[in-house]
This record gives sequence, structure tokens and C-alpha cells, in this order.
Amino acid sequence: MSPEWGALKMKTLKGIVFAIGLALLAATPAAAQERSARKQGFELATGSGKRILVFRPSVSVGSQSTGGMFEPNGDWTEKATTNIRVSLERLQSRLGNSVVAAPEAYGDDAQRLQEHMALFAAVSQAVIEYQFFRGNRLPTKKRDNKNDVFDWSLGTGVASLPGAQDADYGLFIYNRDAYGSTGRKILQVLALLGPGIAVKSGEHAGYAGLVDLKTGDLLWLNADGAMGGDVRDAGGSEKRVRQLLEEFPGADLKPAQ
Amino acid sequence: MNRINAGVMLLALLAMAFQAPLAHAHNLRKKGETVTVADSTLSVTPGRDWNRLSGKAGKNVETWTLDGGQLNDLTFFGGIVPGKPLVKERHKKKAPLPKFRKVTLLVELPELLEGTYRTYKNIGTFRLISTNPIKFLGQDGVTFTYEYTDQDQITRKGEATAAIVAGKLYMVSFDAPRLHYFERTIADVRALVATATL
Repeated sequence: MSPEWGALKMKTLKGIVFAIGLALLAATPAAAQERSARKQGFELATGSGKRILVFRPSVSVGSQSTGGMFEPNGDWTEKATTNIRVSLERLQSRLGNSVVAAPEAYGDDAQRLQEHMALFAAVSQAVIEYQFFRGNRLPTKKRDNKNDVFDWSLGTGVASLPGAQDADYGLFIYNRDAYGSTGRKILQVLALLGPGIAVKSGEHAGYAGLVDLKTGDLLWLNADGAMGGDVRDAGGSEKRVRQLLEEFPGADLKPAQ
Repeated sequence: MNRINAGVMLLALLAMAFQAPLAHAHNLRKKGETVTVADSTLSVTPGRDWNRLSGKAGKNVETWTLDGGQLNDLTFFGGIVPGKPLVKERHKKKAPLPKFRKVTLLVELPELLEGTYRTYKNIGTFRLISTNPIKFLGQDGVTFTYEYTDQDQITRKGEATAAIVAGKLYMVSFDAPRLHYFERTIADVRALVATATL
């Protein structure tokens, strides 16, 4: 192999790496879209005397198979659940209002809470898909948007969740992380180099929402399908929880000096 | 050299083009305006504004929603011909869907929908709650209710109304989470189904 040929190959390789980088950069439309919204007219001042009930966050961590299927990982989920709970406990005192942890739920209560959490995730996904993503807005929601209306609800069933009677607002937190397997990452590169198709490797969805515990209306939402922070380690979880609670009404989450 | 770099750039641009979100156009279906649905002669007059989703699950299938398909899914099946499944099969061999047949009876339609959901939505639990005769499109039809738990762990309720006219299947189904969403809209859906004509 001549040195010229080697240099040529090296340059081509660099070019391909650059191309992949550029394409990956373009593959994050989330950056260009909204991530947070607040119901029109909703204000929550610091020290307002309102009580916020924090439900135990829903956390699931796993890997994404080559075919794109989610494969849960018990060990990662357990670590992430603990990490997120610790970070949340540290940060919730700075949410600006009285925060109480929801009591442990059992039996039917636990089942109802789990179903409301799943509904919260579905509503968050619908907000991302049909409201935050401007190009994909539903016509009826588009007209609402002209008046800056953010109108989504979990329904009045939230009033019967454990602890709801003694609080004004409920904080729902949902995380789902799927780390791309080696096979998936290889597929991502091959699909890009071959037919030029973008294959997503990994999924990092995080949603945090404040819900009116009387009406079920979503008052504030911070939701993104491409969150930062590796929830499997403590530092990453702290980053994730901060990102989830960014712009929380009435909060001051800036790192302490 | 330049040619190689140009090729690489072209590759990047092509890849970017593939990644650009597709331009969607969900259309408004206005209150009081009669419209035909699902590329068929089936027409309805909505009593409130709806959004028609741009995607199609099959040739004669159309979906409307208020807040997104995951929260309220009103689907019209406009004249499914014998030998065809309700929605387009994703994998003919790996995941074949049950077909509507010439010999399919009205009472067998819940089973057709159940079989379709089990494969298409990849769900494990599906419970038929009730089946009743009804007049639909001026014919003897069937209306049935059901409940199932989806991949996203949400239990959804559904209600479908169907009739077989001139050998083709016409059906309207409404699916929504049993928490809040189903009850909130089912009366509007029933009123809309009552306006259906061919």
C-alpha cells in the first residue's frame, strides 16, 4: 500500500466520520422544539403555602436490541430508581413550596397510581408529538395555541390517589431509558453508510408534570424524548433530575454557591 | 480528492434528508360539515371539531382524534372487501392478520377486531364486554364494547359499530384510556355514528 493511498484512505475515513457526526447532529429534532409549557393563567409563587405531593417516580431502564425492542434490565432499573430518588430528595426542598412524599400505595391504590402514571406518560407523549412539535400540531390544538392555551388533563380520578386529599398539586415523574446495544449501534452506522437511513440508537425519555389534584389538569409540563444524564450513576441522575425540574414554577434549582 | 469529499458531503446531506421530520398535515373536520371518510362513500356529520390524522393504517381506513391517537382514536373502516384484513399487514408471513370473509357473520366481527388487535398492537389481554344488535347505515348491524391493556400499560376501552352492506364491511371504532378519556368523548362518538350514511 503506498503512503499516498494510506493518506487518501485516512482522509476519506475522516470525511465519513464527519458525515456521520453531521447526520447525527441533524437527527436530534428535539433540540429545535419546545420542551416545556404551562397552563394559561397558572402561577405558583415561591412560598405560596400550596402543598405539592410527589409521587414515586416511574423508572424503567433497559437496553435496545438490534431490532429496536426494549429489553428491561432489573439491575439498572434498581440503581436508577435509587439514584433518582436520592437526587429528587436533595432537590425537592428547593422547589419553593411545601413538598410531601406520597404515602406508599398498596393493592388497588398501587394499581390505580400505576395506571395514572402510564396515562401521564401517554399524555406527555401526545404533548411532545402534537403540541411541542410545531410542524405536527393538530388543527384543533393549533387554534388553541394562537391563544397560548395548554389544555391537557389526566381527569378527576387523580383526586382519589393516595395522599391527594391533603395536597393541592401532584408532581408526576416518568423516566424510560433504553441504552442501545452494540448490535444496535453497529446497525445505526451501517444503515447510515449504506442506504443512508437514520436508525435511532437508544431512547431517553423523561417527563415531569405538575397536576391539579382536584381537576386532573396538567398545569406545567417538562417533557423530552432525548434527555441527558446517565441515570445508572449518581452524577448522571442528578443531571437528569435537574433537567426534569428545569423551569419548575416557583423553584430555584441553581447549584448552591 | 475533492470528488471523494463531495461524495461524503452528499452522503451526509442524503442522510439528513432522510432524518428530516416528514411534513404532516392533519386536517380539521369541522362541526356540522358532512364529510366522506376512509376513501369510501361512508359519510358522517361530526357534532364537534375533530382532527383527521394524516397517517393511514390501511387502504380504506381513516383515523380521527382530539388529543392524539394514544388518547382518543376514532377509526373508520370504509368498505373492507372479502379476503382483506381490517388494516394493512406489516408482515404477511410473520404477523398475518385475520381476514374479513364473505362468510363472516355480524356476531363474528368482535373476534375479527380482537384478532387484529392482538397481532397489530401486540397485546395480550382483550376482553369483550358486550355485543348487541343495532341499526347502522339503515341495515341490521352490531355494536360491541371491549377493554384491553396495551403495550404502554394503559387499559383502554373501546366501542365499535358495524354493518355489512353489499358484501363489504363498514365499521366505526372508538378507543380511549378507561381513565377519563373514554367517558369524556363516547357520547360525541355515538352521536357521530348515528349520522353515518352511505
